[in-house]
Amino acid sequence: MKVLELINVNKIYDGSEVHIQAVNNVTLDFQEAEFAAIVGPSGSGKTTLLNLIGGLDKPTSGEIIIDGTNLATLKSSDLIDFRMRNIGFVFQAYNLIPVLTAKENVEFIMSLQNWTRQKRDERTFELLKAVGLFDRMNSRPSKLSGGQQQRIAVARALASRPKFVLADEPTANLDSKSAATLLEIMEKLNHEEKITFIFSTHDARVVKMAHRVITLEDGKVVSDDLRK
Amino acid sequence: MIWKTAWKNVWRNPVRSTVVISSITVGVFAGVFSVAMMEGMVNQRMRSAIDEEISYIQVSAKGFRTDYDPALIINNSGKIESAIKNTPGVTGLCERIVLSGMANTARKSTGVQIVGINPDQEKEVFSLFRKIMPGTGTYFEKETQLNQVLIGQDLAKDLNIIQYSIDSAKLSELKVNGIPGNITDRLSVLTGKRFGSEKLFVKKLKSMFSASEAARYGQLIKDKAWTFREGSRLTLTFLDKDNNQVGAAVRVTGLYDIYNNIYEKNVVFVKNDDLRKLSGIPNNSFHQLIVKINSIDNTDVISSGLKIKLPDLEVLSWKEIQPDLALLSEMTQIYYAIFMLIILAALAFGIVNTMLMVVLERTKELGMLTAIGMNKKKVFTMIMLESVFMSVIGGIIGILISMLVISLTAKNGINFSQYSEGFEALGYSAHIYPEIAPLFFAEVVVLIIFTGILSSIYPARKALKLDPAEAIRTE
Repeated sequence: MKVLELINVNKIYDGSEVHIQAVNNVTLDFQEAEFAAIVGPSGSGKTTLLNLIGGLDKPTSGEIIIDGTNLATLKSSDLIDFRMRNIGFVFQAYNLIPVLTAKENVEFIMSLQNWTRQKRDERTFELLKAVGLFDRMNSRPSKLSGGQQQRIAVARALASRPKFVLADEPTANLDSKSAATLLEIMEKLNHEEKITFIFSTHDARVVKMAHRVITLEDGKVVSDDLRK
Repeated sequence: MIWKTAWKNVWRNPVRSTVVISSITVGVFAGVFSVAMMEGMVNQRMRSAIDEEISYIQVSAKGFRTDYDPALIINNSGKIESAIKNTPGVTGLCERIVLSGMANTARKSTGVQIVGINPDQEKEVFSLFRKIMPGTGTYFEKETQLNQVLIGQDLAKDLNIIQYSIDSAKLSELKVNGIPGNITDRLSVLTGKRFGSEKLFVKKLKSMFSASEAARYGQLIKDKAWTFREGSRLTLTFLDKDNNQVGAAVRVTGLYDIYNNIYEKNVVFVKNDDLRKLSGIPNNSFHQLIVKINSIDNTDVISSGLKIKLPDLEVLSWKEIQPDLALLSEMTQIYYAIFMLIILAALAFGIVNTMLMVVLERTKELGMLTAIGMNKKKVFTMIMLESVFMSVIGGIIGILISMLVISLTAKNGINFSQYSEGFEALGYSAHIYPEIAPLFFAEVVVLIIFTGILSSIYPARKALKLDPAEAIRTE
């Protein structure tokens, strides 16, 4: 089942002195439960493309359709709500809420969606167990390692069962062991939860594990390899 | 979760939050306690004016209050008094004869208002009988051959009836009261000397002691040196009902002491019967009927009713007799609100500054929250709650400290006796008992919450304008 579709998407930054085409006529679609990596050199447009897919930025032209909804048709306030219900985010710098515990960070989005406490707790415990941090649920982010924080970020992204998770360079700040653990967890959750993962990366280890690898150069898709 | 996150965010930087909360605490305490002091002063002034000077309602012949013409009397007051007493809410009534005249001693003379009273009736309406200075006599309780007069302490000073002297007994008392030996030793040279006025005595003290000694011990020495001979005599002169000048020697039955110097200097009391004989005012005729009622809140209703019942007489409420008091009573609540608003407005700038720093420091986090789906309303609510939490914590602590300090000072009051002349010249007591209506605390809490919300609007708007994609990239 198609969860995301990009049709002739362009993003041009047009300033008085610079004219940059960050994304150039990209057409892609993603199916349910895909585990896809977007790769390419720095400045190739990976982050811009993820921002466009995540509704954090608007394309200059083209359409982005998520589960049948064209993002361009949504008002700003509806777009925020749409993101909350359909897209999970994992950031390079983890970006957890430092004053909340691991458990509270995971349940934050469910709380924004007014889930009952019982449902929130069930889902939070399930995810904390899945990422191997159930025993650290009451720790604040500052008491967790980088790898542990990123695992909590993955749990948060999956909490409200989004259509897909966008991860921008999720292993960039991790050592090889933590990165490997994170990738294993992400792949396991992708398989168990049937949620699509789309991540940008430079990391060869991530690329190796991806089921599909999309290569960008100067904003253009130059290859799209389906491996599994 | 928004409330919980906002609460935890307040304590993210505990030092900064504590500084902001402390400034709010100090500001609220300063505001509330100042208001309690003012309220205490105003209420004392109101109570004093109504209980000792004017009461609630006065009835007189039309035009009497304009120039106090002794011929403008209420004749055959019996029916009128019955009509007043039968009015619901009236709890007391007294009759007065009021004449303008002079009080004279061998040394001084001064203009006074001579008020003829029935002492027993007066006790139902006024509390002046409780204000007789100890050791100066009584409230018309002793029978004397000469007519009696009750005068104010300040008039006694003006007429040089009060004198100042030092003797060995007074020196011993001063020592007991903590005056150092070197001061009493120097003071002993005044033994046997009499000073006819406070001014002369103070002048002498200033020549004998340094400025700091005079400031520190002067008041106590003055209080002890104060001498009044019970039964001192003076002469009252005034015009009788036919405009003939009449004079009479009277004996001072006692001195009253209230917080209004002007009243003390100008109003003397004699018995109605004595004044009636001297002035020729007929029996059952008076210049004023003074009415006491059950509650100050009923003043307008009862005085309006009496105006209708007694159309041929002038009926005036305390608000009409002393419009300054009415203004004071009506304006104070507005004044207190403005005063608190100014303090809270000043505090609001501090909160705005802190919250702007909060938004600036958390740009990345706020961008992330918007990215993952926290809508503008919730971001605004979270920042507003942080501001309100700090305001309310500071405000509540400020109010609690105020309540504690007010309760501690309300019992014994705060004594500004060194400024008593200034206070009493304006009709206020120099001994202030802070007091405050419980409702005021509720009003302050509402104002504090309001301040917290207002202070958060600008910083929250800044947060709402953040572009999540850009904010997340912020380092």
